[in-house]
Amino acid sequence: MTATVLRSGALRAAAPSPWRWLWLALAAAVLLYLPILLTERQIFGFRLSNMMLLNIGLSQVNLMLITMLGALSLNYLTGSAGLISIGHAAFYAVGAMTAAITGSQWGWPFPLVLIAAGLGGALAGLLAGLPSLRVRGLYFVLSTFAVHYLVVFAFMEYQFKFFDVVGVPYKNATLGSWTLSTPMRWYFFLLPLVIFIYWLLRNSLRTREGRAMQAMRDHELAATANGIDVRFLRLKAFAFSSAIAAMGGALYAYYLSNVTSEFFGIQFAIQFIAMIIIGGMGSLPGAVVGAAVWLLLPSIITGLTAQAGDTTGLLRSVLVDHKPQLVQAIFGMLVIVLLIFAPWGIAGMATRLKARLTAWWSRS
Amino acid sequence: MSHALELRDLSVRYARKGFALDGVNLTIPKGGVVALLGANGAGKTTMIRAISGLLPLHNGQITGGSIAMDGQSILGLPSHKLVRMGMGQVPEGRLVFKQLTVEENLRVGAAVLPKSTEKERMDAVYELFPRLQERRSQAAGWLSGGEQQMLALGRALVTRPRLLLVDELSLGLAPLIVRAIYKQLKLVGETLGASILVVEQNARLALDFATTAYVLERGRITLSGSAQDVANSDLVRESYLGVAKEGGAA
Repeated sequence: MTATVLRSGALRAAAPSPWRWLWLALAAAVLLYLPILLTERQIFGFRLSNMMLLNIGLSQVNLMLITMLGALSLNYLTGSAGLISIGHAAFYAVGAMTAAITGSQWGWPFPLVLIAAGLGGALAGLLAGLPSLRVRGLYFVLSTFAVHYLVVFAFMEYQFKFFDVVGVPYKNATLGSWTLSTPMRWYFFLLPLVIFIYWLLRNSLRTREGRAMQAMRDHELAATANGIDVRFLRLKAFAFSSAIAAMGGALYAYYLSNVTSEFFGIQFAIQFIAMIIIGGMGSLPGAVVGAAVWLLLPSIITGLTAQAGDTTGLLRSVLVDHKPQLVQAIFGMLVIVLLIFAPWGIAGMATRLKARLTAWWSRS
Repeated sequence: MSHALELRDLSVRYARKGFALDGVNLTIPKGGVVALLGANGAGKTTMIRAISGLLPLHNGQITGGSIAMDGQSILGLPSHKLVRMGMGQVPEGRLVFKQLTVEENLRVGAAVLPKSTEKERMDAVYELFPRLQERRSQAAGWLSGGEQQMLALGRALVTRPRLLLVDELSLGLAPLIVRAIYKQLKLVGETLGASILVVEQNARLALDFATTAYVLERGRITLSGSAQDVANSDLVRESYLGVAKEGGAA
């Protein structure tokens, strides 16, 4: 008897409600209209001021999409497999370097370059993951820290050997005869790619390996007592995560068309950790939200301070003259406040809010 | 005929801590139910770790002797391989995966099986512990201690092991629940013909359950025999069952 009741419950969860389709259609419409809105800067003939669009342009949105790949892959590694890495900027650099060798030097077509970057990232991730077989926790984090400096050093050597101080140049990205020459074209290339990676990661958590990874995160001992080869799985997770990050790095390089080793500083690595803390550790939507906040908030703050341009005195000095510091301070505060009051991040807050609203709804 | 498990002169030492097991002999016949008794620190958990390949995780090392499962040496094999060879492990402290649902926990256990048998084996576990079925879509962290222990046991049983190692099943659980779980465990042993080794602090319970018992003291086996003989021995009556010596001070 109970079995049938349970089964119907499971079915109900699986069948999407009409509301869900409506939401999906709405989201698709917004995502498709967004680049047009951000380029033409008007909606249904009504001209929007810069501030109405929060001082955001399509280029920032594209950079955000590229950064999302890093946040998603780190979230997969940290939130689902329980491994922390400060090395994700390094995998971006590996991707950028692989793209420079195969694309700029050997002249491979862009799609092949992307695949090569992914493979290069997987290989680098495999090597970087090797210490995880011996050391745990903080010691492993430090080993990824070392990987970061090694890779950045290698990138610098490479840059100065084959190019110069100006940086490593990249060709235009082309898919067949279609050149990604405008932000609009980039947007429509990046958006499906990010959605695909998101879908891939989400589904992979529901496979045997995905469950095994979560088991390993919760209790390593119990996982191995259930026949899971923890060491192998850890390497695999690391390689997979790095491959995605490296693809992000190749896209990043192609998008900026010129990259130097200074781009991949330690701050670049830590920003990914900040993103998944802001968004919510272990939550894929959280990684998306975290990357969005991290990439878009600076423009919003910059836009706001431009509004305050005619104020004087101390306020002006803070808002206008020390804009970069202000942005940094706000991010620092955001991370601290979230860690203290909402360690589950923005995604966790949303779930809690939803649960509370549902409870309130059913009561009244 | 080979035994389900045979330890010969097994010695184990931990880095910096010295010997934990010192020449231990233990035999589990096919289909047998063996209890291992002993006080805290006697080496019970060390023995389980040595058998299940978990010693390296605790900086321990086998320094001598042999371990054979079904007549085949398993010395030095990692835990996850042993599971695939038919050794079910229920580690101490339950260790369910709290953020996964009950069903997902069982699926983790079933991941070593071919996909076609997964569902049938999981249904068999649900049949054994109907409570798990009622709660199959709940996160394991929300289960009571007894239910978590059922889940930990079910997770090991889903592979239908030929040899089952159970470490401190009664830890932190109400006696009634422990008895109920042991009853189901006995049923499993009888229906599947699995050999079982239980490590248990609660000597009375373990002696009721098992057919053979070993007493471990400071890394050595000091007594072994049929559960009944062991239960009636002076050593166990005094030290483990709390029965005062006859004629002793009241």
